Amino acid sequence: MSDLFRELGQHLYDGDAPGVIELTRKAIEQGLDAREILNAGLLPGMERVGRDFKDGELFIPEVIVAARAMHAGIELLKPLLARGAGPASRKIALGTVKGDLHDIGKKLVGIMMQGAGFEVIDLGHDVPPERFVEVVSTLKPDLIGMSALLSTTMPMMKNTIEAIRAAGLSGKVKILVGGAPITQAWADEIGADGFAPDAVGAVECARRLL
Amino acid sequence: MTPTELTQRLRDRVLLLDGGLGSYFIAMGLEQGRAPEAWNLEHPEQVIEVHRRYVDAGSDIIQTNSFGASPPKLAASGLEGRCAELNLAAVELARKAAGASALVAGNIGPTGRFLAPMGDATEEQLEEALREQASALARAGVDLISIETMYDLREALAAVRAARDTGLAVLCSMTFELRPRGVFTIMGNRLVPSLQALRDAGATAAGLNCTVTSDAMLTMVEQTREQASLAPVVAQPNAGQPIATPSGIKYDADPDRFAADIGRMLRAGARVVGGCCGTDDAFIRATRRAIDTMVSADG
Repeated sequence: MSDLFRELGQHLYDGDAPGVIELTRKAIEQGLDAREILNAGLLPGMERVGRDFKDGELFIPEVIVAARAMHAGIELLKPLLARGAGPASRKIALGTVKGDLHDIGKKLVGIMMQGAGFEVIDLGHDVPPERFVEVVSTLKPDLIGMSALLSTTMPMMKNTIEAIRAAGLSGKVKILVGGAPITQAWADEIGADGFAPDAVGAVECARRLL
Repeated sequence: MTPTELTQRLRDRVLLLDGGLGSYFIAMGLEQGRAPEAWNLEHPEQVIEVHRRYVDAGSDIIQTNSFGASPPKLAASGLEGRCAELNLAAVELARKAAGASALVAGNIGPTGRFLAPMGDATEEQLEEALREQASALARAGVDLISIETMYDLREALAAVRAARDTGLAVLCSMTFELRPRGVFTIMGNRLVPSLQALRDAGATAAGLNCTVTSDAMLTMVEQTREQASLAPVVAQPNAGQPIATPSGIKYDADPDRFAADIGRMLRAGARVVGGCCGTDDAFIRATRRAIDTMVSADG
């Protein structure tokens, strides 16, 4: 059992999606619990990817390929997880704040979130507070991910959080912030629920918040 | 300007680029979600005005408002099929502002498409797209080409090949960050081998821009010293980082400190310098003073 999970984690680490699909199928056929396949096979593999990314052993390409392999495994488990008392797919809406045209970092966060099984709504760049408010009230995401790459656009994160509060929606959604100039101290000051320094950390943080 | 002419000029003197354009346009009312390149046709006077600020501040080279004017990037902003037109307009506006006081560099940024394994684009496709933009800029009469903010060495090399074939001098900067094991792009390309590869592919000068502030970039520029064949190096840092304090947010950037760091980069081998995100004409003016002071002190 544990050998199968270890092997599954290794294929995920290597970004081998066909291997992950094959072993996930095998585990399902053996009658293993879907939640256990996820928690003991896929997640530990992805956590190792995250650790090695932080340590500078891996870079974005390896991480993304691993995230895609994870996604392939999760897709197979989804129907089984849904049958149990498992959570439905979580939704995150991502956008670069108003005044900021950068979107590469946000795109990478989107790919990673998808890999981790989140449903991603990409609002693009230069997204005004009103648009975030509208999305929270109509599409009802579990999380909002805001990105700012400029020191001059960072304050717009605060405005957006205030707009969400003013609309009475602050209890309805968790707010995650990131981007090159962003720090935990800034996240605390503006009242964000979470901060992550990179795309891998964003997924960990999102999981922690939900 | 041919590669040989630029190399010659850089032997004689340091060249000062410009600073950021995007924040100016947003302050001037660039509409939400609109590509800054659209302004080359819709608000030409504003584009000229921003260029002119940098010329007045002492830039030797100003860069056209065409960072996102490659066909794939334009298509993503709803401007497909307008590569030639928008690049031509970009060059005309920069030329008007530059007059005889500054050179005009045709600016090229990443296409926004990811190569395998992150995305489905091929190097051939990116090179073809970037070639379309480089040719448009060359036809419109730029003096040189400046490629910036590349994060994947493969795309950067495709851009250099496309730009080099115009026969013009080519500057190429990639964006690096400090990782536990050294200086890398997000895709894992190392600093020194990347700059060497860009030079080997035909970049007249290669270097770094964006992502980091001037003090971090200084340590990176110092690392390029280990290989003499990398000189002259291009360096365009961002303005400083904001710091959250109990009394609110503070910015640690000030143009004089930025300019002092640039001065140290020049001593470490940088020959083409300027600013990236968050920098404005005050940063370029301060840098101009620092360069001129150094020249007269060394003179």
